[in-house]
Amino acid sequence: MSDLNENQLKIFIDAVLHYFGQMSTHKAEIKTSYLANKTPPCADYTGLITVSGRYRGCIYLTAPRLMLRQLLIEMREPDTTEENLLDAVGEIANTISGNARRHFGEALEISVPVAFKGVAEQLRAAVRARPFVIVVGWCGYEAAVVVDIEADAK
Amino acid sequence: MKLMIVDDSNIIRTRIARLAAHPLLPEISIVGMAKNGVEAIDVAQRCQPEVVTMDLTMPQMDGIACVEKLQAIDPEMRIIVVSALSDKATAIAALKKGAHGFLHKPFSDEQLVAALQELVK
Repeated sequence: MSDLNENQLKIFIDAVLHYFGQMSTHKAEIKTSYLANKTPPCADYTGLITVSGRYRGCIYLTAPRLMLRQLLIEMREPDTTEENLLDAVGEIANTISGNARRHFGEALEISVPVAFKGVAEQLRAAVRARPFVIVVGWCGYEAAVVVDIEADAK
Repeated sequence: MKLMIVDDSNIIRTRIARLAAHPLLPEISIVGMAKNGVEAIDVAQRCQPEVVTMDLTMPQMDGIACVEKLQAIDPEMRIIVVSALSDKATAIAALKKGAHGFLHKPFSDEQLVAALQELVK
């Protein structure tokens, strides 16, 4: 179970809002955030970051295809092929996780992103019980940032 | 000035390439791109870039190790790190290895153009 406190959760919320604020003229909003008590969300594309160092767990962003396509268009990227949609979802997950180090410091070691389409076994294996879910609304679409990290007791 | 772009994201590489063609940056010409540190060393040896944008979190060889190796190849090479890693220790480590600046992701078009202007001064 993720052991983030409210201030730590806000770090991720701020990172998500900042990302969309920089990449687009349309603001994102946080629809809700909650502690998942069943299977966490999984949309069309997912970018997964594994956390190590003094923390363990994972952070992932999952988003619908049309949202990622719209984001690429906002970024003036004409290539909205599958390859670039996967690239985008991985890069967003990487950026949000990397920005969180402003608070957590270098002790929060993050992996390179792994991006995939649909529900992958990797996701089931990576996420433990009861992660935090932040639901983000942008341009009529909804994505989720799922944060499952805890301080390593070792 | 000859620019090399190093980032594991194709979207970021093409975005930086597009912005490097900005009218405020007439002196920049792109000589190569790489998606990890190992590729960057190879491109640098072949194309001899004078300025570099460098991601940090990449497979095979990360950006900080790559900055150090590029500085060993050409100490005059000017490198700006463009990374999401926002902690102070990482920025200091990159600067210690020879980077000349640090731009945090996500960056706006204006921020990148300004950073490249500073780099080619």
